[in-house]
Amino acid sequence: MVKQLRIANVQIARLFAGCLRWAREFYDWCQRPGTTELRGRRLLREWLSSEQLAQYDAHNYFEVTGCYTGRRYRINHGVGMNIYELDRAGRPQAGWCFVPNAELVAGDVMLAQKIALETDELGALAVAKNFTMRI
Amino acid sequence: MATQIVMDHNGDTRHTFDAADAKAVLKAERRFRELTGAGYTAATRTAVGPVVTRTFDPTAKETLFYPRLVGG
Repeated sequence: MVKQLRIANVQIARLFAGCLRWAREFYDWCQRPGTTELRGRRLLREWLSSEQLAQYDAHNYFEVTGCYTGRRYRINHGVGMNIYELDRAGRPQAGWCFVPNAELVAGDVMLAQKIALETDELGALAVAKNFTMRI
Repeated sequence: MATQIVMDHNGDTRHTFDAADAKAVLKAERRFRELTGAGYTAATRTAVGPVVTRTFDPTAKETLFYPRLVGG
């Protein structure tokens, strides 16, 4: 009787481990980036400077310099509320949100934000909304 | 070959054309006018970074178009 219970226990443990593995694989499959997402990321990577690309690969964000004020901005991976204005020490001090007026993936949104800040900073900030950061 | 890259819900759509082909250049110029007229911003890549352009340049190797920006 004890032996049978022990065998059943081992079988249940195996079944549980199998379910856990399956659930993890299913989660990874759900989290994988789609083709559109990958295309957006590829386009972004093509347009980033080598420094920005290294920063993006390491931290999932990159920094740009505003063409008018010379202020630094951090563009985080995302499709909204993803721009932080940095102080002289490189710490986020304000949040800005402006996005293209269309359904775009993160890579495209980030690229449009980068170009806007680097070429028309005041125009971008004129339409942007300020937000409180969650750091 | 020159390329016009238009951001859209598929990521982007690329239109390539031969800058030596007058008919293809005309078509590309029409696309440029239509997109910028619809509020898209056109940018080209240079050694010092992106540059926004308001006139069609058939010699630009790559022109990127992104939709009008709005506050989020």
